[in-house]
Amino acid sequence: MPAVQAVTVSTDPQVYEDEHVHSVYDEIAPHFSSTRYKPWPIIAQFLSSLPTGWVGLDSGTGNGKYLPLPQDRPGSVWTIGLDRSRNLLEIAQNAGDIRREVVWGNVLERPWRAGSFDYAISIATIHHLSTPARRKLATQRIIESISPYHGRALIYVWAVEQDELSKRNLPADSSPNNKATDRAPAKGQDVFVPWVLSPQATGKTRAKNAASQNAEETAERSKVFNRYYHMFAQGELRQLVGEAALELGLVVSSPNEMKDGNGDSLIHGLEIVQDGWERSNYYIEIRRWECIS
Amino acid sequence: MVRLITHNLLACHAKGCTSNNFPLQFKDVQVELREAEFNPDFLRGFIPRLEWGALVDAARQLGDTSLPAEPPEMLDVEFLQKLHHVLLEVHVEEGAMICPNCNHVYPISNGIPNMLLAEHEIG
Ligand SMILES: [Zn+2]
Repeated sequence: MPAVQAVTVSTDPQVYEDEHVHSVYDEIAPHFSSTRYKPWPIIAQFLSSLPTGWVGLDSGTGNGKYLPLPQDRPGSVWTIGLDRSRNLLEIAQNAGDIRREVVWGNVLERPWRAGSFDYAISIATIHHLSTPARRKLATQRIIESISPYHGRALIYVWAVEQDELSKRNLPADSSPNNKATDRAPAKGQDVFVPWVLSPQATGKTRAKNAASQNAEETAERSKVFNRYYHMFAQGELRQLVGEAALELGLVVSSPNEMKDGNGDSLIHGLEIVQDGWERSNYYIEIRRWECIS
Repeated sequence: MVRLITHNLLACHAKGCTSNNFPLQFKDVQVELREAEFNPDFLRGFIPRLEWGALVDAARQLGDTSLPAEPPEMLDVEFLQKLHHVLLEVHVEEGAMICPNCNHVYPISNGIPNMLLAEHEIG
């Protein structure tokens, strides 16, 4: 596997992401999808913990591998998938061989009624946004999409700290000082992660996704697609969520710490339920709340 | 897919369009009916989350008049089956959704709604 390579985001972030994220996923969609099938444990647990009747958003759903969950109670909640890649959505539409609900859209926008979802997940998506401002905006869109009274969300991003199993060669700490992150104490790393699309690989996926492949593609030689990632440093995701919430006017704490007021003010808050590192990723689980203090 | 479960959540998000931007109105739709597994427990939990009036109105636009104007107090199986059909078995495959406020058109193709905005339309 070719090495991960440090990069500096130089052009217009929208244009940059179109080239190094969206068009790549549209090209590699069937092959990418054939390698993505096993849900990570913390995500599966989160989805299993949701009350029956809840409706949720998978922001950056990709091939929709989380749409069929929870495995133990299929159909007890409904997750609607949002993605920027139309070709991945065509796959997500039939995730688990049942018709799913998917929407073609941008994680920086909010094409929903505010607070209309009970829960949201954002798995391996925010790290494809190329500036801190855009990563924060995507986080705010997630917070705004879930109920202000009980909404829950889980966010996963790629970590600078990689485990041995990931087989990726990281650049030695050569991260160019990204101007945009200078103010933040927790600095991540901007990198290209190559995706190698070989003729064999396209041939293999052809059986599964006959409609989206054609003979010309399989005749091509191996192609390398560089995908842009912002690898998160320790503490950076928590800080991102905290800043995103504060800017939306939310108190970042547990509602239990808010019981000492005069009982005359209505407070909207966001609690960080858990955060940590799992298999080369950082994750954070949040819950929105409202209380009178 | 645009089933009515999704339609009930979607709202126009074009620049400056912040009121009367829900529910989107269907136009020139092609509908397909597909059976889905009936899950009454899901429906009972989900009903309080629905914008009921918007659902009834959208169902009528698609030619289904089986739902009452208000959700009944008794959620019997007969009612839940009607709701199940309207929410989860009616698929809008082609057509468009129009914002009642700014007339923005969100096309639906191969069952996937396009909610992307052009750069100048983003708020
Ligand atoms: Zn509008």
